[in-house]
Amino acid sequence: MPKISVKIDDKDLEVEVGTTVLDVCRANDIDIPTMCHLKGLVDVGACRLCLVEVEGTSKLLPSCTTKVQANQVIHTQTDKLKKYRRMITELFFAERNHVCSVCIANGNCELQDLGYKVGMENVRFPYLFQNCEVDSSHSKFVMDHNRCIMCTRCVRVCSDVEGAHNWGIMNRGYQVRIIADFNVPWGDSTTCTYCGKCVDVCPTGALWNKDATQGSMQKYPQAVSDLVEKREMKS
Amino acid sequence: MNRHDLKTISEQMKTKHGQFKQKVCVCCGAGCLSSGSEAVLKKLQEEVKLKGKENEIEVVPSGCMGPCNKGPLVKVNPGQTIYQQVEGEKVSVIVDEHLIADRPIEKMVLFSDTREKPFINSQEDPFYKKQHKIVLADCGDVNPESLEDYVFYGGYQALDKVLFQMSSEDVIAEIKHSRLRGRGGAGFPTGIKWETVYKYVADQKYVICNGDEGDPGAFMDRSVLEGNPHRVLEGMAIAGYAVGASKGYVYIRGEYPLAIKRFELAIKQAKKIGLLGANILGSAFSFDVEIRIGAGAFVCGEETALIASIEGQRGTPRPRPPFPAESGLWGKPTLINNVETFSSIVPIIACSGEWYSEIGTTKSSGTKVFALAGKINISGLIEVPMGTSLREIIFDIGGGIPGDKAFKAAQTGGPSGGCIPAEHLDTKVDYESLVALGSIMGSGGLIVMDETSDMVDVARFFMEFCMDESCGKCVPCRVGTKMMFDLLTKICQRKALPMDLERLEELAVFVKETSLCGLGMSAPNPLLSTLRYFRNEYEDYVNKSQALAGTR
Amino acid sequence: MLKTKKSFLDVELPKSDPRVKLIAAKIKKENYRQDALIEILHTAQNAYGYLPMNVLAFITRELKVPPSRVYSTVTFYHFFSLKSKGDHTCLVCTGTACYVKGAQALLDEIENKFHIKPGQVTPDNQLGVQTARCIGACGLAPAVVVDDEVKAKVTAAQINNIITTKTGVGA
Repeated sequence: MPKISVKIDDKDLEVEVGTTVLDVCRANDIDIPTMCHLKGLVDVGACRLCLVEVEGTSKLLPSCTTKVQANQVIHTQTDKLKKYRRMITELFFAERNHVCSVCIANGNCELQDLGYKVGMENVRFPYLFQNCEVDSSHSKFVMDHNRCIMCTRCVRVCSDVEGAHNWGIMNRGYQVRIIADFNVPWGDSTTCTYCGKCVDVCPTGALWNKDATQGSMQKYPQAVSDLVEKREMKS
Repeated sequence: MNRHDLKTISEQMKTKHGQFKQKVCVCCGAGCLSSGSEAVLKKLQEEVKLKGKENEIEVVPSGCMGPCNKGPLVKVNPGQTIYQQVEGEKVSVIVDEHLIADRPIEKMVLFSDTREKPFINSQEDPFYKKQHKIVLADCGDVNPESLEDYVFYGGYQALDKVLFQMSSEDVIAEIKHSRLRGRGGAGFPTGIKWETVYKYVADQKYVICNGDEGDPGAFMDRSVLEGNPHRVLEGMAIAGYAVGASKGYVYIRGEYPLAIKRFELAIKQAKKIGLLGANILGSAFSFDVEIRIGAGAFVCGEETALIASIEGQRGTPRPRPPFPAESGLWGKPTLINNVETFSSIVPIIACSGEWYSEIGTTKSSGTKVFALAGKINISGLIEVPMGTSLREIIFDIGGGIPGDKAFKAAQTGGPSGGCIPAEHLDTKVDYESLVALGSIMGSGGLIVMDETSDMVDVARFFMEFCMDESCGKCVPCRVGTKMMFDLLTKICQRKALPMDLERLEELAVFVKETSLCGLGMSAPNPLLSTLRYFRNEYEDYVNKSQALAGTR
Repeated sequence: MLKTKKSFLDVELPKSDPRVKLIAAKIKKENYRQDALIEILHTAQNAYGYLPMNVLAFITRELKVPPSRVYSTVTFYHFFSLKSKGDHTCLVCTGTACYVKGAQALLDEIENKFHIKPGQVTPDNQLGVQTARCIGACGLAPAVVVDDEVKAKVTAAQINNIITTKTGVGA
């Protein structure tokens, strides 16, 4: 692969053509927070946490879907970006009902970690207080829509990796919800294979094992990333 | 069908129309139809027949003539006399007096109710005089349901010229020379877009016509699709030839059944005689067009969302790059332009890029169609050269504000645009000047507000629209529009504090900068522009808030 | 005997129903292409006035698409409705021009007489009221569509009469 040079946060780097800004940063210890991104899944650029500034472009660009170009100068940690990352985090918390102390994923939650990372002390914006359901109809897993941040990792892993297409998204705007089949209780789904990949990739306490108790739910998103990598290997 | 047949049609039509002494056009655009123009058309045809004049007087349906709130409109040629609000007895009067006795009826012509001295020749009226019709040139004369009539007005000559006298590069050069910019709102140079698609090598490319006119208050694309569908079709075929695409899609809003019907008919007619399909006019070029009907989602006007919708999916946008020119419909290079842009192609090819570039301003050439509505005397469809001032549009053409009320603001660009206050009435309208004022050109909706309009409520109205239409994919737009709407509602209910206004502004800038697509990026515009020009109204609400009452 | 899980997709539609035939013909015409889903949904919505669940199940089976994809698509677009919109409909345009010219007063007047808000249907299913985000008839603001007929420059005093005259509801 031919190489090009780019400058990210004062670091001069030689990188392969076609690499995304996010991959370059991760390989060079430049920390960019993400929520919807997961290695192995198709990137959608939806959470906007990974936005970066590229000199010569007035728009902020999502690093997960933007490929580096020769001689680009990229900034990933400006005051503006830090402020916006904190605001996005506040919006996540205000959108639905995230109460860490009683959450199944307390201590093992990417959203909670994000809050610490971006230095969110409180939420300054009005909570939406949406009325969300908890679906415990499945024999192995539970879906708590109150904790869902619509990263759609579950939807993508189910359709693209497992191939079951159990999960979908209904409605639009702030009323979007994750659904199984025709918005049926998860336990009535005709497509779910009980594989549990969606639970593994879920960054919050929205999807969990039925036998988990408060604060005990461990997630393994890396398992799916590894699986995808192994599937791509030639035997 | 070959090139010769096209000439034959044209000549046959010339002979056919030449038989008649007079031509009566009855506007059958959606506006006039709903005020009953179909019955007027029928009655006129019957009356003419009754008087035994059916071989001298031709009565035909036509597209939109402009002043929609004066419908049903009837135009008599020669003489360009337009009669307004034609119904009941007025039909017989027109037949007896004007058509047979040749005495135009002054008290029934267009604007006879508002002007002291109305004009028998409508084109001398200030409403038409300041206009320059290119896109709408034949709209109002040509029968939108007849391909032959379109050919009579010079239709498909540009396609013929392109296929036999020009290479793809020639066509692109001509469009670039015209300096035409995309009329969908953002104003990207059309020639450059075409060139980009042309340069990508692929086994299949697509041309998409964006007719998902979703801005509330805009009906330009509707009128063009209804009034002159073949013009759009011809423009698409020329684009297909230029970029190397053999397949086109027209995406029309489901709310426009008449536009869909007329466009379906146009496609059918063109296919039947070989103006669409394989080897058009005997050339090596093949091109086919299909209609896709929108299902009610404003965000589908965004090009990547529109592509998702054509593919049968939820219409959610995706990050760009890659742009559709590189990877669009089914991953193939795709050219997307809107209805008005495609309608501008035929005159540019027929005349020249040079001619077109001399109209309008240096940076924005040509003309722009606007839909005038709201608190204005003449609402309807107009077309003016770029660089016409808002004052000319609203007061000279639109006849000013009804009821002697004062002008307060003009809203352009719909939910993605902003409100322009009275002090900027003399601004010459083009892409750059509107952006500088905090609004955008948008697709051409222009809503006039008078002194009674509450600007905070207007901002709230548009925010509700954006909240409902947000696709829900990215966080800033999904959550931010809802929060801004809640805060605006709180302000309107006089329950907000100055702190809420600060939060609102902070959110607006944030959503504008961080959203994934154009909908989110522009959703705060109506809010930001009213804050910019009418901040006192917000402050009034906040300072007189009930929430403050207890703290004083 | 092997037991299989009963699925909500296992519904039979009466094959003699002309509406079912219409949808089946459309699916065939589109060559069972999954990307024609929206076109097929339009046909179904036009035939039934809304999209009943058993019809969605039928389309899902015929096109062999995942049910989640069908439901995702249906709920994304405002045109598609999962509930009946009423035997007669009154659609009030609330686009900018109509809003500025008093569309809200029309809705208030309808609510006064028929006790239904936008999106609701009278208990006897006779009349449903909806709003549209601009039907493009801004020159005629405020505009209302009763069943399929556009009524121009409607005033609050006229609206209920127009509905009753056209549909017979509320006479």
